[in-house]
Amino acid sequence: MEFFDKLWEWAPEVFPFLIKASVVTLQVTAGSLALALVLGIFVAVARISSFKLLSYPALIYTDVMRGTPALVQLFIIYFGLSDLGLEFDPISAAIIGLGLNGAAYVGEIYRAGIVAIHRGQIEAALSLGMTPVRAMRYIILPQAVRIVLPPLTNYAILLVKDTAIISTIAAPEVMFEARRIVQATFMHSVSGQIYLMAALIYMAITLPMSYVAKRLERAKAAWH
Amino acid sequence: MSEMIEFLKGYEDYFGDWVWEMLIASLVTMELMLLSFILACALGLVIALMRISQFSVLSGLTKVYIGFFRGVPVLVILYWIYFAMPELGYKILLISSFTAAVLGLGIHGSAFLAEVFRSGIEALDHGQMEAALSLGMTPSQALRFIILPQAARVVLPPMANYSVGLLKETALCSIIAVPELMLRAKDVASSSFLPMHAFVLAAVFYYIMSFPMMRLAEHLEAKMAVGR
Repeated sequence: MEFFDKLWEWAPEVFPFLIKASVVTLQVTAGSLALALVLGIFVAVARISSFKLLSYPALIYTDVMRGTPALVQLFIIYFGLSDLGLEFDPISAAIIGLGLNGAAYVGEIYRAGIVAIHRGQIEAALSLGMTPVRAMRYIILPQAVRIVLPPLTNYAILLVKDTAIISTIAAPEVMFEARRIVQATFMHSVSGQIYLMAALIYMAITLPMSYVAKRLERAKAAWH
Repeated sequence: MSEMIEFLKGYEDYFGDWVWEMLIASLVTMELMLLSFILACALGLVIALMRISQFSVLSGLTKVYIGFFRGVPVLVILYWIYFAMPELGYKILLISSFTAAVLGLGIHGSAFLAEVFRSGIEALDHGQMEAALSLGMTPSQALRFIILPQAARVVLPPMANYSVGLLKETALCSIIAVPELMLRAKDVASSSFLPMHAFVLAAVFYYIMSFPMMRLAEHLEAKMAVGR
């Protein structure tokens, strides 16, 4: 099959570039994941807070972040803010954009996790004389972590795939590199093979993650 | 506060035109979303049924299909259909960007929905199928009257969630030049040199479009939780 002949022919030359670009993909994924995981805590706490002043803004933030495309948010941060004087390089803009977007999703995951832990657990721990810190450490957090870990790993997998959109703001990740190679070398006839290679790289990243996610889900189900 | 007013002033010359253009582009967005959704559902159902088939060939092939199209970003699929396929000699596939977008989003969605449908069907009590068969129904009758209607209840919340995500994915189709809302926003932003204003307005349109679907998804999730 001619398609695959061309694939083997070009793979050795093209793959190194794509693999190098996948480092950027992983960097952006890690950066925005970290940002989302941290900010998500504040979002979740604000959401379940009894202070309307905290919970309403958090609700609006979450709804807007989840109701508008990440691409629009990214463009607002990269193009919009630079118009207003605040410039970011593509990778920083990507991490901030995906991180802020992710904080809304992660916040919801945390919120579901907190709500899922039976109030009785907290009451029982405190009535047994545990300090709140000890109750957190030995009773609440271990249960909470088990609950939120599967959705979080699922989110991480989605995040890896979402990093493809940052190719639109010229972040040198896999899709951007693949397109650049096709356009710079005018190898449009093998663009199919090149994009397939890009797809394979994404799969090489997401498949192991999916495997881990499935194992975690099974462990969580067994624990119940 | 005065900065807010300064910002809103930027819209003065453009607001009327922009709103109108974005409204029309939003219609394309919704059309794109609707067609992709239908394709994803139909294809996803077929794939799901093949996945749970007793024929290992079918279930194996669809397992690969699902694994592949769920493991790669939508953008790769869109690029492939729009840019790469014509090059591969499939000249009949010199299709419009809109069609490429529907196919791309539909295929990507079908892989996702296939898994949703599959877990919906498998979540049903095995006894349902057994009882149906022992009552003399053929497997396809059992599917049609017993299994699928019950599975439909379970899969509605994830489907509603998927549709919200689908709406946001249509923004990606601007990259393959589909004349939807995001592309219009980009055009307007570059011709007016007001990217912030343009994209914020586009965000408002997207939010308005996704608001009912998000509320519907929440409502369905709440209803499902009650049934336990």
